[in-house]
Amino acid sequence: MNNKIKEFRARYNLTQEDLAKKVNVRRETIVFLEKNKYNPSLKLAYDLAQVFSVNIEELFIFENLNENE
Amino acid sequence: MKKSFIIVLVALLILGSTAVWLFSTGANIKPMDLLHFGVIFLVVVFALFLGYKRWTSEKRGEPTEDELSKKVLQKTAAISYYISLYFWVFLLWLKDRIEFDSDELLGTGILGMALTFGISWLIIHYKGLANE
Repeated sequence: MNNKIKEFRARYNLTQEDLAKKVNVRRETIVFLEKNKYNPSLKLAYDLAQVFSVNIEELFIFENLNENE
Repeated sequence: MKKSFIIVLVALLILGSTAVWLFSTGANIKPMDLLHFGVIFLVVVFALFLGYKRWTSEKRGEPTEDELSKKVLQKTAAISYYISLYFWVFLLWLKDRIEFDSDELLGTGILGMALTFGISWLIIHYKGLANE
């Protein structure tokens, strides 16, 4: 799963620390999310989408990992 | 703040009491004692590192724990438990081949578990938890 958090964060002129405070996580979690090293819970994904006023699908790109199924 | 302070205090107390224990034995320091002290030192450094991370998060006004840190901790606990089972089997195998008294065996086992936990945490923490 990829995401556009970094892109949206730049658009809203937010630092990683600002975004972390808005969604009540540590800055490190935002770093991991931006590097695609962590898939957030549905709640965190929803909170992030709320901050950027977009749908979850616009912020997170779901790839079909099992195309044959 | 209180929890971070307690972590640091306990870590320093462990290090201090270990140093007192080690140096009160005088000239009878065995290589195994030095190994134990080295591992305890690493565990304390790890605890201080975690305490420092918590303190900096608190200072920035962020939560000290969040969903990522909890998931990392859960996975670390699961993996280190699994590895520890094999570690104890290895120690029991080693006991029949090398002279070990029961205190040394237990001490080595417990410190090995702590070391396994620390190493697992570092690997999982820096590798991340993508697609899980």
